[in-house]
Amino acid sequence: MNLKKKKDQYELNLIKGGRSFYLTLIICLMVFLGAIAVLISAFDRLISRHDQQLSGEICTIMSEKMNSSIEFMTESAKSMASVLSAQDLDSLDDIYMTLKSYNKGEYLSIGFIDDSGEIYAEDAEKKEFEKWNLLNTAAQANPVSMSAPYRSSVYGQPVITMFADFAYGNYERHGYMFITYFLRDLQEVAVTQSLGNDVEIWLMNAGSANIIQCAGSDAHAIGSWTNAYLSMQNIDKSDIPTYSEWLDSVRRLEDNIGISYSIEGIYYSQYCSKISSMPGWYVVVRIPSNTLSATMNTFRNYVLVFLAVLLLVVIVLIANMYRLSKRESKMLTSLSIHDPLTGALNRRAFDLAAEQLLMKGHDSALIFFDIDYFKQVNDRFGHDAGDKLLVAFSDTLRNNFNKQGIISRFGGDEFVVLTEMGDMESVTDALKRCVREVHSIELNDNSKNNADFLISFSAGAARYPQDADNLSALKKCADTALYETKEKGRNGYLWFTDVFAGSEPEEITAVTDVLDVTDEPAERDNNTHTGVNAASYKPSSAADVTGNTVSHTMGQAPQTGRVVKKVVRKKVIKKVVKKTPSGK
Amino acid sequence: MNMKKIRAFVLSILLFAMTCLTACSKEAEEAAAAGPDIAHFKPLNEISEGNRNIYLIVRLMDSSYWQVIINGAMDAGNANGVNVYCGGTNIETDWQGQRILIEEALAAGADAIILAPNDSVELASDIEKIHDMGIPVVLVDTAANTSSFDICYMTDNLLAGQKAAEEMLAQLHNAGHTEDTGLSVGIMVGQSTSQTINERLAGFFQYWSNNAPDNWIISTDIMNCNGNIDLGGQLTTDFLKKHPDTAGLYGTNNGPTRALCRTVNEQERNDIIIVGFDFSDEIKSLIESPDFRASTMLQRQYDMSYRGITTAIDLLDRRQPDIKFEDTGVITVNNDTLTDPEVVEVLKHN
Repeated sequence: MNLKKKKDQYELNLIKGGRSFYLTLIICLMVFLGAIAVLISAFDRLISRHDQQLSGEICTIMSEKMNSSIEFMTESAKSMASVLSAQDLDSLDDIYMTLKSYNKGEYLSIGFIDDSGEIYAEDAEKKEFEKWNLLNTAAQANPVSMSAPYRSSVYGQPVITMFADFAYGNYERHGYMFITYFLRDLQEVAVTQSLGNDVEIWLMNAGSANIIQCAGSDAHAIGSWTNAYLSMQNIDKSDIPTYSEWLDSVRRLEDNIGISYSIEGIYYSQYCSKISSMPGWYVVVRIPSNTLSATMNTFRNYVLVFLAVLLLVVIVLIANMYRLSKRESKMLTSLSIHDPLTGALNRRAFDLAAEQLLMKGHDSALIFFDIDYFKQVNDRFGHDAGDKLLVAFSDTLRNNFNKQGIISRFGGDEFVVLTEMGDMESVTDALKRCVREVHSIELNDNSKNNADFLISFSAGAARYPQDADNLSALKKCADTALYETKEKGRNGYLWFTDVFAGSEPEEITAVTDVLDVTDEPAERDNNTHTGVNAASYKPSSAADVTGNTVSHTMGQAPQTGRVVKKVVRKKVIKKVVKKTPSGK
Repeated sequence: MNMKKIRAFVLSILLFAMTCLTACSKEAEEAAAAGPDIAHFKPLNEISEGNRNIYLIVRLMDSSYWQVIINGAMDAGNANGVNVYCGGTNIETDWQGQRILIEEALAAGADAIILAPNDSVELASDIEKIHDMGIPVVLVDTAANTSSFDICYMTDNLLAGQKAAEEMLAQLHNAGHTEDTGLSVGIMVGQSTSQTINERLAGFFQYWSNNAPDNWIISTDIMNCNGNIDLGGQLTTDFLKKHPDTAGLYGTNNGPTRALCRTVNEQERNDIIIVGFDFSDEIKSLIESPDFRASTMLQRQYDMSYRGITTAIDLLDRRQPDIKFEDTGVITVNNDTLTDPEVVEVLKHN
């Protein structure tokens, strides 16, 4: 239907509601996103708190594990020294050979220092003693001691050396056996598969605040030294006082101290414990809490992706549902405001739209139309033809008035048009075009049947605001004009202003050659029309209706009430031409 | 309509992502196309047919420090009758460039390679590869995280830091400070992430904690000039205002040492002792001045490469050294030692 292609602005005003849907959708979306943000934030806080507690506990366990590993190494040295003491060897060479026999490849080197300070080791190893003051470390063995890590000249890697006191020469003499390990052996002890390289382990000297890394994510840093006061510069400023207090307590050799701080937004837990075999030394373990969070963050990201997909699916579903709903709603709305046959507005919708149009205050015209002898069409050609006529008539009105007006089927064969009007001439012209087009309507394919039947209409027009300033009064005026048209023989139109202007239509076209007669139902709806017992007639020519300002009827309906044939129309025509008094 | 909008939205996101990916890959391609910034091998001495070919790969070509190393290799090549070729990178962290140079040396049929690795972890596998091929590989200046090399000649920076602390304590005593009077020493580093600097700092702290009087303290307010000498000067000025009892300043490397010297010189603070590294004009003028007490630690980088070449020749002659790491050590230069033959010899190469 044309109506579907061409949106009527007044009809659009009757079908509103899309905006509220989008607003609701946006609000729902924002609420959803807000809820997600709150959820994620709460999740993060929970995980962060949990991780901080857990990482502290892991640090404690790791430092104890590291300390136990060092203890194990020193216990090994102690046990070996005990065995050596039990052997109570006299010869220093025998002691050295015995010690060498202990080394099955587990140690980098093994040897001893006799009670005079003589070192029994490879020549290259002897140099290390002097270079790193290892004799001093040996003297601290009670019964064991451990050197600070140092870079071995022999192996080119950081190493540590354990010392253990032993007796020889009838238990009268004391010496120190030593075993050297790679520092990375400690690293291997400290590594846990579950935490990979995220756990950082250092040995820290309380006196100097020097730290050497044994394990960690940065392979460059393993085995290298730094100082805790320099490392402190990387810590977030707000945590520096706490860190400084922690350092002071370490330097005071306090026991088992934990701390937490942030570096560039990453939260770290750090814990240290004393190494019993290395006086003044601590094992320090640090773990970034985000290591633990990483797994949960992955889970959180999965949840986020799931929610995003869910949201997308919901949006698509809602959009589809809305589309369907809108289509249905539009259809229902259309059905509720349109006449289903012709697509013209129904009476209720017309009243609403007409009120809106008149509220603009523009000059307008309201025209009532009535198809002449419609009942005969139904009777003679069938109801399908009647329906076809109604549709064709509606289309004719739409073609001529729809640009600036609204069209309604008021009931049966009655139509009403309300159109904005620049002047009366334009409306009159439209009416003339309607007359011509309606006359040319063919009811069916049988040309013979069509040939003797002329379709016509009667119309009455009233002006707003000249004739009436409200819709109800305007309709009455137009109805009166229609009534007058019918009274004067139908097949024509009349302006209301001509009804009471004292200038009655001068003449109504006379018709002759009445071929058939039938009565049209006289009943009218409401009070808008008075029933007319119209007679069928032979119409005069429509071609004679030429004046722009003319309001006239095309044919006078004889009282006999018979159907008029076109062939007769062409034979006898009398014209009644009447000029409008005002020219409007 | 809604579906169209959603489709358009999704498509725009995809297009945006694709554009980003394309841009990223383009950048990567451009970076790859640009290639490493390396100086390819050139002979350091007159090439003689039949001589052994030893390839030296340094970390930074345009540097006075590395030029001394190149000179050492050249002199050793001339003295021992081997052909020495030298190549290197123009960025000190460009280990990929060094990997290319290693491949070039191997392809050219190097008899031995002297390498100063730009990355001790990334180049470990390349060093192992050379070693596994039976080609002697000698490291200079920097060690690597592997045992598969023949020997490494470098400064043990922990010991160098200790020696600096020893010199600081000696100079403080010489200046008349006694164990009864408290004093503090300030430290400036050139970087907080450099392993060399960290070890020099740790060595200093270590020696100090074991040997300094209890009321002689190191200020824990460590200055970091991040390689900027002007910033270092400003930091020194602020530090001296904040710590008026400062009796000594320690610079862990060349930049901080220069900054400390400049400020002390400008402010005529001849009551402050300076101990630093390298032999810049700033420290030299203070050492030579009778009004100031300044000392510097000089590395023996000339020895690193010279001995690297001779050891490579030994290795080619199947003489294996009994150690894998040799600390070439540092020499203390101050007003008293300036004319010592050993100092003069080291300074001759700087």
